Amino acid sequence: MYRRYCLALAFAAAAMWPAASKAADIKIGFPIPLSGPTAVYGKPVLAGAQMAVAEINAKGGVLGRKLEILPRDSKANADEAVRLSRELIIKDGVDFLVGTLTSAEAPAVSTVAKENKIVFIAPTSKSTILTDAQHIHPYIFRVASNTDVEGLAGATLMARWKDVKTVATIAPDYAYGRDSMAAFIKALKKMRPDIQIVDQQWPKLGEPDFTSFITAQMGKKPDAIYSALFAGDFVTFTKEATPLGYFKAINNRFIDGAEIGTTDEAQALGKDYPYGVIGDSYDPVLWTGNEPPVHKTFIEDLKKFTHAQYASGWSIVGYQSIYALAAGITKAGSTNSDAVSKALTGLTWDTPVGPRTFSVKSHETFAPEYWGEMIKEPGIPFAVINNPELLPKSFPATN
Amino acid sequence: MTVAASTPMLRRHALAATALRDRILSGGVPWTLVIFLLMATVPWLGSRYDTFLASQITIDALFAVSLNLLLGTTGLVSFGHVAYFGVGAYVCGILMKTYGVPFSLAFPASGLGAALFALVSGYFCVRLIKLYFAMLTLAFSQIIWAIAYKWNAVTGGDQGLPEIPYPHLDWMSSIPGCADLSIGARFYLLTLVLVAVSLAIVHHIIRSPFGRVLTTIRDNPERAAFLGINVRLYQLASFVIAGGFAGLAGALYGIFSRGVFADYVFWSKSAEILIMTILGGAGYFWGPPVGAAALVWLNQVITDYTQYWSFVLGAILLVLLFGFPGGIVGGLDMLWQRLKRLRNA
Amino acid sequence: MSSSFLFSQFMGGLTTAMFLFLIASGLSLVFGVMRIINFAHGSFYMVGAYLAWQAVQWVHPTGGGFWLAVVIAAVGVGLLGALTERLFFRSLYGREELYQLLFTYALVLILGDAAKFVWGTDQLSVSAPPALAGSVQIFGTTQPLYTLFIIAIGPAIAFALWLLLNRTGAGRMLRAAQMDREMLDALGANVGTIYTLMFAVSAFLAGLSGALVTPIESIVPGMDVLIIVQAFIVVVIGGMGSLWGTFWGSVIYGQVLSFGILIFPGFSLFSVFALMAVILIVRPWGLFGRPL
Repeated sequence: MYRRYCLALAFAAAAMWPAASKAADIKIGFPIPLSGPTAVYGKPVLAGAQMAVAEINAKGGVLGRKLEILPRDSKANADEAVRLSRELIIKDGVDFLVGTLTSAEAPAVSTVAKENKIVFIAPTSKSTILTDAQHIHPYIFRVASNTDVEGLAGATLMARWKDVKTVATIAPDYAYGRDSMAAFIKALKKMRPDIQIVDQQWPKLGEPDFTSFITAQMGKKPDAIYSALFAGDFVTFTKEATPLGYFKAINNRFIDGAEIGTTDEAQALGKDYPYGVIGDSYDPVLWTGNEPPVHKTFIEDLKKFTHAQYASGWSIVGYQSIYALAAGITKAGSTNSDAVSKALTGLTWDTPVGPRTFSVKSHETFAPEYWGEMIKEPGIPFAVINNPELLPKSFPATN
Repeated sequence: MTVAASTPMLRRHALAATALRDRILSGGVPWTLVIFLLMATVPWLGSRYDTFLASQITIDALFAVSLNLLLGTTGLVSFGHVAYFGVGAYVCGILMKTYGVPFSLAFPASGLGAALFALVSGYFCVRLIKLYFAMLTLAFSQIIWAIAYKWNAVTGGDQGLPEIPYPHLDWMSSIPGCADLSIGARFYLLTLVLVAVSLAIVHHIIRSPFGRVLTTIRDNPERAAFLGINVRLYQLASFVIAGGFAGLAGALYGIFSRGVFADYVFWSKSAEILIMTILGGAGYFWGPPVGAAALVWLNQVITDYTQYWSFVLGAILLVLLFGFPGGIVGGLDMLWQRLKRLRNA
Repeated sequence: MSSSFLFSQFMGGLTTAMFLFLIASGLSLVFGVMRIINFAHGSFYMVGAYLAWQAVQWVHPTGGGFWLAVVIAAVGVGLLGALTERLFFRSLYGREELYQLLFTYALVLILGDAAKFVWGTDQLSVSAPPALAGSVQIFGTTQPLYTLFIIAIGPAIAFALWLLLNRTGAGRMLRAAQMDREMLDALGANVGTIYTLMFAVSAFLAGLSGALVTPIESIVPGMDVLIIVQAFIVVVIGGMGSLWGTFWGSVIYGQVLSFGILIFPGFSLFSVFALMAVILIVRPWGLFGRPL
């Protein structure tokens, strides 16, 4: 027993040794799903963050110190994300946390950040509960838009279909899916009180078999469907829904607000993509028309950095998160989380898709997304957004 | 229908365990106290991470010992022990977070809640023979998992219940030397005391006449029944006690890990705790705690080198099953016996 | 509720059921003879899915050669099963059930990580064979050809297994081993070969179902531990060791899950576990099995 204890102590001392010698780096813990159905979104977010770190370090780092990302696979599990975040703080001594993908992980990691007084920037989580009045604290910041923003955009598009009278929804059964559907319905009721919600399905995140949900929904014969299925779930769902005639029955009047318009999702589905549905993305990547030069450069750099023929539509949020953090540290002149938190509140920083600002009240940015019909484009082997439209035009009234 | 048949392997180890215990006791060193005192110095001598690991070991030790009351003492193979751990974690978490109940009430309530569920489920389980017993315990644990996963309003569903408050431990400041300890370290000390008391109680139960009836049932249920022992009743009692202590471990774990999540109750966790128990040595009272310490320690050593921890765990399990079925303590015991024989010869 | 709606819900449940039958039949077979739950059966299923994906890449990266891939996966996993039995399981016969259970769990841990090592952690998928990619109209509902194929293959496999068990020498030996292992030993039968064969058949079925599921479900790490629980439930409902029990158990499971979504949407998951517990309490040997 005693020897075991001594061994543990000796090991802990050994484990701390390399940590001490690298004290000059600013360490950023990065829990994010790197395996399973959501990895198709998680990996490019991390890649975007890593590219930002490489760029910043090449220019001498922040406050003369290099940035270092410690990535961990959270498997999109709240408990795994909490465990990893605590371990990153307690064992690896990270200065900041960036990351998590789903709204199962982010609110849970936010509580860890609050308790340990460490700034945590969530690049993708959308659920309003992350930063609402009840859960906001000085250390949590969100780069993504929240579900109110997404719901407003989705409802705006749905309301344009004048002949749609009945709508059904299908979304994963956890905070993001629930909040997102509620926000959509609230916004839609205001714009089109004549539309009825006839069915709501709640498969779990990571559901392997959607068949019963699909047939149950088709039985209600909706005119159109609003969804928040994403990543691997949307791949599985589509492969089961298409042969059942799901998309055909609603004439492809299917809107999804969970970034199925990203090149990542489109590439994952390839020729199985349900062409004709409406999807969204923070970054349209393949930008037809007046593409800003800074975006063009970003995409070219990203392609080189990830050795990919087509850039990811997800890397942008990881990239934005790291630049936000770097701007915050620079402004604060220190890596102390209290100082950085003050610096980040109300901070505006430049990104390849335009400037972003952390709201003083809710620590969120107003991040509209590019929406549009997913179509075949000559020469590109996957679906792309047709005439990407930035929606919504303004923050929802609630904010 | 016969009740859980005898387990010769476990019986042999149990006999050896008695010998080992006698030796240690005759040595005159109060090992239990020494270990407790050593563990208590971690917050002062070790890093914050050491305290973190020590907390995990302590809580796992109680969980594994509670399982071993079934496995090693009563001879019942439960494949769903995590259900009671989970019930305890949720009861304590919900009471403290949702209803603001103080820890001093929520902690015993979690043990009682788990014991109550063990009473209801155990009533059906102990009627079944071996494999069906294991299957039914698995079924009950998956029912708890499904409830935890789907009952959003109460359990938080997939989100779980993060941010369970720590108990009020400000009073520790008045203890000399404790004023500077963080809340995590204070909670560790509280955990250590509560687990030590729990282990002492379990130890006492095993050595009581009641515990001897349990071992009789394990060794030969037919004979026990012949002696007029109500086998099912004793098995049920053992099941309820084991469930209750698992619930206490769950309550501590929920607070330690800063949240309760549905995945804590998934069936594979039951397998992990079984591995922990076997790794330490199911035939010995101190086997499971040794197994807990070894697994927690190995996990953090190995995950520094490779992400394939499951593979390593599987390999360890293979070595254990084919090479050292008695576990670490069993292996040490065998070594000790051999040395002694050598010296005597 | 219209009848065409009920029909499509029923067909959905039936598809789930036939997949589960393919997986559970192998699990049930091993249980019937060895009296153990083979946790690694889900891992065999997962390896089957990955192997099928791999074979498609080898044979025809753009999606052809599906049937050849299915054969490669099923035979490959069957060999893996036989190998496992020869190398490890053999020395565990006669040991306590706990050790046998934990051994199969060790395989779960090892195969899970091995699959991650070989095939990575990304979600993979396979396209349906072109001949079965379309769908047909039945009772005013759209039914994918592939699921109709799965619904047909379930009973076909059941019948083939029944033939194997009842009309071949090896099958009769297996059934004899189910009844009384010692007796078979005493008769001088080559029990070792029979056990290896049984494991191979069981793993073959797991690999086959893993390969067949790839056109409609994604291949991800963790699919092994999710499927094994469902397969248990099916085997428990029908009766462990009973072929037709497993068949009807699958049908019941599929329909409870499918219609459960309509009746109590939040708790269809709960309902199947509750059904399993109730059956274990009332009739531990299942609806169609015999008491041990």
